[in-house]
Amino acid sequence: MMHRFARTTMIVAGVLLAGSTLAGQAPAGRGLARTPWGDPDLQGLWTNATITPFERPASLSGKEVLTEREAAEYEKEALETRNADNRGGGTDADLGRAYNQFWYDRGTKVVGTRRTSLVVDPPDGRVPPLTPDAQQRAAARAEARRRSPADGPEDRSLAERCILWPTAGPPMIPGGYNNNYQILQAPGYVVILTEMIHDARIIPLDGRPHAPSGIRQWMGDSRGRWDGHTLVVTTTNFTDKTNIRGSGPNMRLVERFTRVDADTIDYQFTVDDPASFTRSWTAAIPMTKTEGPIFEYACHEGNYGMTNLLRGARAQEK
Amino acid sequence: MRTLISVLAALSVVGATVPVRAHHAFAAEFDAKKPIKLEGTVTRVEWINPHAWLHIDVKRSDGTIEKWMIEGGTPNTLFRRGVNKNSLPVGTVIIVDGYQAKDGTLKGNGRDITFPDGRKLFIGSTGTGAPGDPQAPPK
Repeated sequence: MMHRFARTTMIVAGVLLAGSTLAGQAPAGRGLARTPWGDPDLQGLWTNATITPFERPASLSGKEVLTEREAAEYEKEALETRNADNRGGGTDADLGRAYNQFWYDRGTKVVGTRRTSLVVDPPDGRVPPLTPDAQQRAAARAEARRRSPADGPEDRSLAERCILWPTAGPPMIPGGYNNNYQILQAPGYVVILTEMIHDARIIPLDGRPHAPSGIRQWMGDSRGRWDGHTLVVTTTNFTDKTNIRGSGPNMRLVERFTRVDADTIDYQFTVDDPASFTRSWTAAIPMTKTEGPIFEYACHEGNYGMTNLLRGARAQEK
Repeated sequence: MRTLISVLAALSVVGATVPVRAHHAFAAEFDAKKPIKLEGTVTRVEWINPHAWLHIDVKRSDGTIEKWMIEGGTPNTLFRRGVNKNSLPVGTVIIVDGYQAKDGTLKGNGRDITFPDGRKLFIGSTGTGAPGDPQAPPK
């Protein structure tokens, strides 16, 4: 899988989302590129790396947006405290960081809106509480992990099994590294190539219905349509193992992609899953243009870690 | 009304609680009670996903050679920082600071990897604009 490549430089977003996210108004999209067949053009390489936390920390309750000065301080603080070169906190914490900072690529900036969380609705910036049903499912998962933590690969997480990364999407959420995406378009289709775990999501735009409810897929079943200048993608048919912050198989996910300028896509998603959450919730995560290439993350090719952790579990049973 | 100072104090708490995360739980694979510090010679590097592995020969005091495998992170990030397969030639002497595999075999994680003179092997190049570089120039 090895590639040849020049060193690339991540483009840091300096572009404010023109207040559109905050105001909830759709930008006009005038003057932005269109494909030869007339669709709004979202194509290119994008990154959503940011150090803005997904949920608003309790310590910032009521503080929705940082001032420029606070944002600069936050960035400085975060880069220091999250620096994996730190060795403090005991050997468990040290091992938990895995390796030094050089291997991480989580971005250095808060989002252009300077919001204190990527979750924008509910207004408190927090994912709503789980329903009793979802709490039971979470408890059952925890019990299964306790009873059988590593008897076989199936006991381990989808990420460890190289099947699905919990932030790679859908919905697409920034993580520690590989926060890169390539969007390609053809008449009637949009394709999103995700670097993390190396998946391509093919989204038909022709109005066809979703797959029958018995067909369940790791990444769900996506259908798209244009709403003015915005690509709206609805995804259903998730498996009972796909888990976005406690979601269940019947999550209905709606993503909205709006190109607001040459270098920025306003990406928002709404999770509608009444079986799992006490209300629907929405996150807004700007995607900014980045230079290529996107690399293949062929996760299975050298997943020695799975063998090693199963061997470790066997050794500890002796 | 919150003062700037109290907001910044709150931010400090936030940053400290955010975990970093590798592809899989290193705590499941390696033993925090078995720290290792090895000086060895690189014999092979596997630039593979999800994590790169360095192979080193470690000479023990009795003259015997132990063959260790050392786990790192995704090569993708390193590629973006300008590291390539020629960056760590066979024969390079490195010092690995990490933890040994739980099963007791000769595997460890490369928590920190340095050259014998103390320079870090994998370290960001400040000011180059590389990802994660705190001095990356704004666009």
